[in-house]
Amino acid sequence: MKIAQDAEMRMLDQMAADFAAKELVEAREDHDRYPFLPLFEDVLAKAHEVGFFTLLLPEAAGGGEQGISALSLILDDICRSDASLGGIIFTTALAHEMILKAKSEALLPPVASGDHSYREALIACPSFDNPGEAGNLLQAKGKGKKHMLSGSIEYVVLAGLCGRALLPAKVEGDESYSLFLVDLTSPGVEVSEPVFSLGLHACPACDLELKGVEATLVGRQGEGRAYFDAAVDKMFLAAAAMATGIMKGSFTEAFEYSLQRHQGGWEIINWSEVRMLLASLAIKCKVADMLLSEACRAAEADEAGWGLGARAAAIHVQELACDATTDGIQLLGGNGYMEDYGQEKRFRDAKQIQSLLGLTPMKRLDYIRRIREGEKPW
Amino acid sequence: MKGDGAMGPNRSKALLEREPRFDDMAVSLLAMPRLPKAMVKETKQAVELARRFNDTVVRPYALELDRKKHEDPDFLPWEFVEEANRWGLYTLCIPTLFGGQGVNFPALSYVLEELGSACTGMSNLVGVHYLGVATLCASWNMRLMNKVMRDTAEGEKTGEPCLISLAITEPGAGTDVEEVDLVSKAQVACQAKKVKGGYVVNGRKIFISNGHLSYWHMLVCYEDLKNPQDTVIMLAIHNGMKGFSFGRQERKMGQKGCPASELIFEDCFVPDDLVCINPAQGKKLKRSMKETHMQVIDYIVAASRAGVGAFGVGVARGAYEEALRFAGETEVDGKLLINHEWAQCMLAEMYKNVAVGRLTYEEANYANDLLGMFKVLEWKPIFYYLKYMPKPIMDKVIQPFLNLGAVTWLFRKIYFDWQKETDYQCSSGWGSLSKFTATDIGVKNGQLALEMMGRAGLRHDRGAEKHLRDSKLLQIYEGTNQLNRLNLFKCLIGRDVPGARVFEE
Ligand SMILES: Cc1cc2nc3c(=O)[nH]c(=O)nc-3n(C[C@H](O)[C@H](O)[C@H](O)COP(=O)(O)OP(=O)(O)OC[C@H]3O[C@@H](n4cnc5c(N)ncnc54)[C@H](O)[C@@H]3O)c2cc1C
Repeated sequence: MKIAQDAEMRMLDQMAADFAAKELVEAREDHDRYPFLPLFEDVLAKAHEVGFFTLLLPEAAGGGEQGISALSLILDDICRSDASLGGIIFTTALAHEMILKAKSEALLPPVASGDHSYREALIACPSFDNPGEAGNLLQAKGKGKKHMLSGSIEYVVLAGLCGRALLPAKVEGDESYSLFLVDLTSPGVEVSEPVFSLGLHACPACDLELKGVEATLVGRQGEGRAYFDAAVDKMFLAAAAMATGIMKGSFTEAFEYSLQRHQGGWEIINWSEVRMLLASLAIKCKVADMLLSEACRAAEADEAGWGLGARAAAIHVQELACDATTDGIQLLGGNGYMEDYGQEKRFRDAKQIQSLLGLTPMKRLDYIRRIREGEKPW
Repeated sequence: MKGDGAMGPNRSKALLEREPRFDDMAVSLLAMPRLPKAMVKETKQAVELARRFNDTVVRPYALELDRKKHEDPDFLPWEFVEEANRWGLYTLCIPTLFGGQGVNFPALSYVLEELGSACTGMSNLVGVHYLGVATLCASWNMRLMNKVMRDTAEGEKTGEPCLISLAITEPGAGTDVEEVDLVSKAQVACQAKKVKGGYVVNGRKIFISNGHLSYWHMLVCYEDLKNPQDTVIMLAIHNGMKGFSFGRQERKMGQKGCPASELIFEDCFVPDDLVCINPAQGKKLKRSMKETHMQVIDYIVAASRAGVGAFGVGVARGAYEEALRFAGETEVDGKLLINHEWAQCMLAEMYKNVAVGRLTYEEANYANDLLGMFKVLEWKPIFYYLKYMPKPIMDKVIQPFLNLGAVTWLFRKIYFDWQKETDYQCSSGWGSLSKFTATDIGVKNGQLALEMMGRAGLRHDRGAEKHLRDSKLLQIYEGTNQLNRLNLFKCLIGRDVPGARVFEE
C-alpha cells in the first residue's frame, strides 16, 4: 500500500507480509475447509502474539495504539493470502472501536499478548450488519449498567470462537438501540453451529438465542447508533483494505499463471485479450490502492469530510474487488475454479466482505443522506 | 412490395447478404415456419416434467448435496442420477430412432433452465449427458450412435444409469482443443496409435463433467501429436476397458454435485468398431480433415453452448427468485424491501437479464434447427414419422438399417458435405453469443442477489450464495467466454472483413 512510507509503517508492512507468507499460504485450502476441518488455531495464536487483534486499542488496554492506516496496511497484506484472518481482525477491531467511541475501554479485560489466549482477545459482533437497518433487534430490560437481553440475533461473527460479544439491543421505549457486552458462556445463551457461508470460512459466524441473559451496557443507553456511526467510517477503510488485499492477491496469482501457462503455442500472456484482462485487474488494484491510501491519509489528518471519503472508497473498492476476482478466476481457466488455487476463495471472500457493515444499496442511500444533510461531497 | 421490381432479384439478394446478413439476423423468423407445431406441446410437457422434478427431487436435495460435497469432496451423487434416470431425463431427448423418448432437442434447453433455476449442479448432472450425446452425434456414425444411445435407453429400463460424457480437455490443452487453428500449436498429449484391429490410447483427460458417473465416454484424441489438427480421432470408450481408469475428482468452488473427473488411459486398446470417426473415414468426405475437425467441433458446440446458455439463464433465474422471495419477506428501514423503489428496479434488471438470456439460447437453437445438428430431425416429415412410428417397428424393422455403412454415408453427406460454411458459421456464432451472454448474466444476477440480500444471502442455508458459486463455472467451460467471443468474431464478423485473422497475433 502506498501509505507504507515511514519506517514504522514499513516495518509493520514487512511483518504482516512475512506473517502471511509463512502462516497463511501453504495450508490455505485446509484452513478454508472449516468447519469440516479444524480451525487454524495455531495461526490465530500467532496472530495474537504479534498483536493483530488489539491494534486499535490504547496501550493502557494492552493494545498497539495504532491508527487506521496501520490496520489497513495489515489487512491489505493479510487478505492477499487469506481474508479469513482479515475478517477476524476486522470484527474484533470494529467491536473495539465501538467500545472506544463509547469511552468504555474499562470494560475490556487486559488482553496483552503472551499472557492471554487469542480467544480472550477476540470480541464477537454482528459485523455484517448496520443494526439501524435491521427489523428485529434483541430486547433489553433493566436499568443502569446491568440489563437482561432476550431474543434472537443472526450472524454474530466470531461468536463460536470467543467468550464475549458486543451486541445491539433495544430497551423498551427507546428510540434507538444500545450496545451491550455479553458473556457468551452465561446461562440462557444458545450459540448455533457455525453458519456455513459463501466466504471467510475460517472467520465463522453463529446465530444466537438469548433468554434473559445478563449484559453490561456499553456507554450510554440509546446511543448505540451514535457509537456505530462514529466507529464505522474508520471501519469502512478497513473493509476497503481487505478488498484491496484480496484484489492484489488475485492479480499476482493471475499474472504469475499467465507467464507459465501455455496455450496456442506460447505463454497465455502473449494473447492480447489476456493482457486486457490482466490490465483491467491491475488498474483496479492500483485505483484501490491510491484511493485507500488517500482516504487513510485524510482520516489520520482528521480532514473535514474524511468520513464520506472513507465510505466512497469502501463502496467503490468492494465493488471493484468483486469484478476483479471474477476475472482473476477467468485468467486461470478451469484451474481458477478449483480449490487448489487461491482464486476461487478470493472471489467468494470479495463478495462476502462486500456485505460488511450492512446492505450495499443502503450504504449508497446513506451516502446521499449525509450529503443532503449538509456534508460537503468533496 | 413497393420498389421490388426496380431493384431486381440480384440487387435484392445482395442487399440481404450484406452484413449483418438477413439470414443471421432473423434466424427464428426463418426457422419457425419450417418447424413442426407439435414441438410446442412437447416443450410444454418437458417444462412441466422439469418443474415436477424440481419440486420432488432437486429442491429438497440441492443444499444437502452441496454441503455433503463440501464435507466429503469424493462423494458421488449416485442416488440423484438414479432418480433422474427413473424420471426418464437421460432418454428424454434421445431420438426414438435410437430407443429414446424423442422429445425435440431445443426443449432440452428449457428443461436445463428449469433445473438450473433450482440447482445448476444437478442441471449439469443431466445436461452434460447430452453434451456426450451431441458429441457422438457430431460424428454421424449411425451404427455407434445407435449402439451407445440404446445402452442409455436400456439403462433406463434396468435402473442402471448409462450416461455419456465428453472427454476432450487435457492438462496442457483446454482452450486449444476447442479450435483447430489453436490445436495445431497445442501441447496435446493424449494419443491413439493405430495397431492391428484398433487403437492403443495413452494419456490423460481432465475436468470431465460426469466422468465418474458415466458409462460411455466420447474421447477426442490424436493419432499424431505433432499434427493434431489433421489426425483427430473420436473414440467411444466404456467403463471396464483394460487400461482405462478414473483419477481424481476436482475440488470445485460450485456445481459441487457434478463431478469433474480425471480419465486415465494407459495402453488402452480400443477396437476399430468403437471408432466414431478417424482420419481414414475423414478422407472420404469433401473437406480436408482439418476442416472436418472444425465442423465436428462446431456441430457440438453450436448445440451444447445453447445448453450452457440455458444453464446461465437458469442460475440467473434462481438468483433472481431468491432475491424476490427475500425482498417480499424482509423489512429494511421500517418497510418491506420489495417496497423500496431501488429494489424494484434491481429486481426488474434481474428479470430482464433472465429474459434476454433466454432469447439468446432460443435463437441459437433456431439456428441449430435450421442449419445445424437438429435440421434433419426437425424436418416435418421426419419429425412426424419418428414421432408416430410404432416403437416395435422402429426397434425391429428400422433399427437394423442403422448398422449399414450406407446410412452413415448418407448422413455424413447431408451433414458434412452438404453443409455450407455459412450454415455452421451462423449456428456456431449464435451458440457462442448465447453462451457468453447468458453466462455473464448468470454471474451478474448472482452478484445482484447477494447485494440485495446482504449477509442473509451469504448463508449457505438460504441458497443464494450457491447460485453465485455455481454460475462462475459457466463462464469457463465449453470454451472460456473469451474464446467464445473470438469464435463469434470468427464466425459472424471477421469472415467478411478483408485481412481479418483470428488466433494469429
Ligand atoms: C468444472 C469443469 C467442468 C468441465 N467439463 C468438461 C467436460 O465435460 N469435458 C471436457 O472436455 N472439458 C471440460 N472442461 C474443460 C473446459 O472446457 C476448459 O476448462 C476450458 O475450455 C478452458 O480451458 P483451460 O481450463 O485449460 O484454460 P486455458 O485454456 O489454460 O485458459 C487460461 C486463460 O487463458 C485464456 N486463453 C487461452 N488461450 C487464449 C487465446 N487464444 N486467446 C485469448 N485468451 C486465451 C483463457 O480465456 C483463460 O482466461 C471443464 C472444466 C471445468 C472447470
